[in-house]
Amino acid sequence: MLAITAIKIGLEIHCQLTHLQSKLFCPCYSDYRGKTANTNVCPICYGLPGTLPLLNQRAIESAGMISLALGCQIPQNLVFYRKNYFYPDLPKNFQLTQYNAYGITSIGVDGKLYYYGDDIDGGTGNVRSKTARIRRVQIEEDPGRLVYENGNMDTSFYTLIDYNRAGICLVEIVTEPDFTDPKDVRIFLNKITSIIEHLEVCNTNLEGAVRCDVNVSIDSGKRVEIKNIGSFKEVEKAITYEIARQKTMSLHNIEVKSETRHWDDARKVTKQPRTKEEEQDYRYFPEPDIPTVILGNEFVSLIKTKIPELPDARKTRFITYYNLSEHVSQVLIDNKDLADLFESAVEIYSHSPKEIANWIVTDLIGSINDANAKKHELNERRGNKEGGQEEKEEADRSGSLLSELKIGSKHIAELAKLVDQNIINRNTAKSILSRIVNTGEMPSQVIEKTDTTKINDKKVISEAVESIFNSEKSAVKDAKQNPNAANFLLGKVMQLTKGRVDPGITLNLIKAKLDMK
Amino acid sequence: MTGMVFAKEDIKHLGWLSRIELTDNELEKFTSQIEEIIGYMNKLDTIPLFEIDEGQIGLEKKFSELRRDFANPFNCDTLNSSNNRKKEGFVKGPRMV
Amino acid sequence: MPSLLHLNAQQVGQGIKNGYFSAQEYISQILERIQKVDDKINAFITVDNDGALRQASLIDKKVRSGEKIGTLAGVAVSIKDNICTQGLKTTCASKLLKEYVPPYDATVVNRLKNSDAIIVGKSNLDEFAMGSTTEFSRYGPTCNPWNINYVVGGSSGGSAASVAALECTVSLGSDTGGSIRCPASFCSVVGLKPTYGRISRFGLISYANSLEQIGPIGKTVFDVRMVMNAIAGIDENDPTTIATAISSAEEEGEGEEQHLQNNDKNKKNIRVGLIKELVEGSEPVISKCIYSAMDIFAKSGCKCEEISIRSVDYALASYYTIAMAEASSNLARFDNIRYGFDFNPDGYEWNTYFAKVRSNFGDEVKRRIIIGSYVLSSGYYGKYYLKAQKVRAMLKHELKSLFKKYDILIAPTMPVLPFTCGEKIKDPLKVYLIDIDTVIANLTGIPAISIPAGFSNGLPMGLQIMADELQEQTLFNTALLFEKIANIMTEYPELC
Repeated sequence: MLAITAIKIGLEIHCQLTHLQSKLFCPCYSDYRGKTANTNVCPICYGLPGTLPLLNQRAIESAGMISLALGCQIPQNLVFYRKNYFYPDLPKNFQLTQYNAYGITSIGVDGKLYYYGDDIDGGTGNVRSKTARIRRVQIEEDPGRLVYENGNMDTSFYTLIDYNRAGICLVEIVTEPDFTDPKDVRIFLNKITSIIEHLEVCNTNLEGAVRCDVNVSIDSGKRVEIKNIGSFKEVEKAITYEIARQKTMSLHNIEVKSETRHWDDARKVTKQPRTKEEEQDYRYFPEPDIPTVILGNEFVSLIKTKIPELPDARKTRFITYYNLSEHVSQVLIDNKDLADLFESAVEIYSHSPKEIANWIVTDLIGSINDANAKKHELNERRGNKEGGQEEKEEADRSGSLLSELKIGSKHIAELAKLVDQNIINRNTAKSILSRIVNTGEMPSQVIEKTDTTKINDKKVISEAVESIFNSEKSAVKDAKQNPNAANFLLGKVMQLTKGRVDPGITLNLIKAKLDMK
Repeated sequence: MTGMVFAKEDIKHLGWLSRIELTDNELEKFTSQIEEIIGYMNKLDTIPLFEIDEGQIGLEKKFSELRRDFANPFNCDTLNSSNNRKKEGFVKGPRMV
Repeated sequence: MPSLLHLNAQQVGQGIKNGYFSAQEYISQILERIQKVDDKINAFITVDNDGALRQASLIDKKVRSGEKIGTLAGVAVSIKDNICTQGLKTTCASKLLKEYVPPYDATVVNRLKNSDAIIVGKSNLDEFAMGSTTEFSRYGPTCNPWNINYVVGGSSGGSAASVAALECTVSLGSDTGGSIRCPASFCSVVGLKPTYGRISRFGLISYANSLEQIGPIGKTVFDVRMVMNAIAGIDENDPTTIATAISSAEEEGEGEEQHLQNNDKNKKNIRVGLIKELVEGSEPVISKCIYSAMDIFAKSGCKCEEISIRSVDYALASYYTIAMAEASSNLARFDNIRYGFDFNPDGYEWNTYFAKVRSNFGDEVKRRIIIGSYVLSSGYYGKYYLKAQKVRAMLKHELKSLFKKYDILIAPTMPVLPFTCGEKIKDPLKVYLIDIDTVIANLTGIPAISIPAGFSNGLPMGLQIMADELQEQTLFNTALLFEKIANIMTEYPELC
């Protein structure tokens, strides 16, 4: 009998509010990436004595929007707490954050998010709708960054500290341990990403803008926390590994300890951290320098007016208004850039939204993935050089999914129009697309240069077919026995005409000609 | 009154929590002093706390009064002059392990 | 040129404006005085001779060219060394900030400069403002100008002493649990702790941020009010400041005489409450002094009564719990990584480095940080910190009711006379107990002023007057009244 493992997974997501102009408690730029160390600081975020925190109004607003989008309760008043601990990346040796205790809550509590799980409900045949409860949403500040000269913490004689990031606004989203399957976590994280992007509070493509820690336990055992997961993509792998690790231990009757482990991205395992993290007593108390912020009911009304169309609503609109399929709509909203591209392309050419959508979710995504893979490889090579850290960050700053490609909505719109109007066939369009993502040319320009218009003229096609029949005599002979020979001949005609002939018409002509023989 | 007894170990631990290295001499001296002071603070246990609307100790501020999100960079040269230990702009600190 | 040292701020301002003497003449006398007596008193950690003379000459230039000069033009100010001055070392009387030069001015310093005041130097204090005698300074104690074998009070000991020793006209101190009023009382000068939020704390190196305020110290009530007007008001760099201006602008130019005349009209309506517990808990000679003070108010037509504050008993425990808790966190940033003193981290693991750096704190600071960490630690937060905050709320509530019936409450500033140096510091708790009269104002945020009330065997006693939140004007009115009638201060110690 197979023992079913009861798995519990909880998430702790940190999201930088990259769209703010300034930091959470001071007017330094919130855009710190790529700057020389310690040039994006001021007396406040540097922790100079005598300075006081100046709370950023828009940070509260944006965090409130996130809370609302996640179905949370927003309190009447907002309080900030000090989390006291020592660490070289912490300029004040305490972190300003929020706390839920003694009747005070953070910016959001008790929310929930619905998502579609990966598995199919046996009964209905539909994708299973699941709920993840959101325990809390809170606002806090990011610490600085520690760097090691030869890249290695263990062998460095000293630590290099850069406070440019210190004081950046973070929103922390903590879920209840409602997840039971790492695949669901991946889907959930996609949804969170989409929501955050649609709220326009964070550019999730910037390096380090969103991070996720997880905690995993099996069969009511102890909880293991996993930190240092580099990106959302790694989360599913880390959880899968950890579940397997805990299961293995359980099989051998070894007790799983409650501990914090780090995800080793290179070796794809979780391991104990090098520096022992002691049980910390954070000695929380309310920050006396930040007066209690009175939000009141007006606050919720205010942010309701500011929340743009959220992914779920947008998806419904894509399905009902543009008649897109559920799957295609999902892919589009999972990446806000693509959904935006879709809608602006449709604005240019509105006759065939389905056509446009399909080009985006099938071919364009493929090109994006290729470009990103190339960029990643280049970065790996750069990052491994001595002092390459900054270069790598420079490259990662661009952020948008589409930034590597040279085309936009007008290209897609024109491409769809050309296919729709039968001027080029699909194969031609595909090859045009893969060319223009790198060159930025308009499809019509490419056609002009290469003369790739579709050939529909039967006379022209007949000539081509005739030409092939003459050069492929053995295949023609085979055709009598082998019906697939027709396709072979079609291929040859396509080759000859550089793919411009309409395959349907051509095949018919070939078959007809064979029949005649 | 709860008789609070502090051992040197307790003070040593608190010293560690506060990242303050204490000599044996200091541990000796401080333990009894701190015990006495905290004993005095235990007075707080004896208060008959009648009901108060305790919210209003701290100050309050309206959401509309908060700082607007404008960037105003600081001249970091003046900051960095107070520290000579630098390498390519990074602050040099002790090793981590 | 006759000695200008006895002039108060109002007189200095007038003198320079009317050309009786120049700012340079005045400042030169001040600087000379500092040179002569500060070896004995040790009120200053840093003296800025060049800066002061430079400022003085700029002011003289303004006067000559008929340019408008500020309300405090030429006034010599000493600044407690826990208030940041750009370009001028700010040490908090600690080894940990031995070489710290702030890259910015505290708002109060900025405003003083805008009023054309002249900063002559940084005054001594108990390390990080933790103490009541200035004996915890790492730069040597400050001695009481009235008798150098006696303590000067604290933590703003240097500030009060520099005024009493005529080393400056006025001073800025800070008051967390009595740190302005205590030394003001022990030095027989006037010291004010304003309403919490009146004066920007931007640039004040925090000890206990929910309790402390910067405040002026001077020879007269009027001087203290002049300085208040120059530095008070909302500051965008301090979100805990409240907007109300101290008093209407008309009083800026108003002379003392005129002000008192206006006062006369109001004094008959003043209702005075004498806090019984605090008077009874003082040395007999002090109790007697305070009762005499009450007589003076009564004879002037004020309605006087003895009142009781139930929560007084717990005030001190509440104060120290909250102050030490906040201190343990406020001082955590001193790890010598970004600023501090010369101590190379090479070769050290970070925990060890931090611990070694911070072992340079003095005993009192160490004790308070440790106790502060204790009361905030898990399991004890409810028992100490939360309870202390509840006591605070109780006290505030009680005072609110009292201030419906009384305009001012009076009490001694200190329950004891100045004592000899070294007498109490071996026993920390003994020193804490002398704060009993002053902590109430810090816990509740109300304004409180200490004014000279008499001498006993050559040692000063102070009268403390408290008013409701934002009622500094009432404080000033009643203090002026008492000052005029009691006429305590006729001369200052020679010292040389």
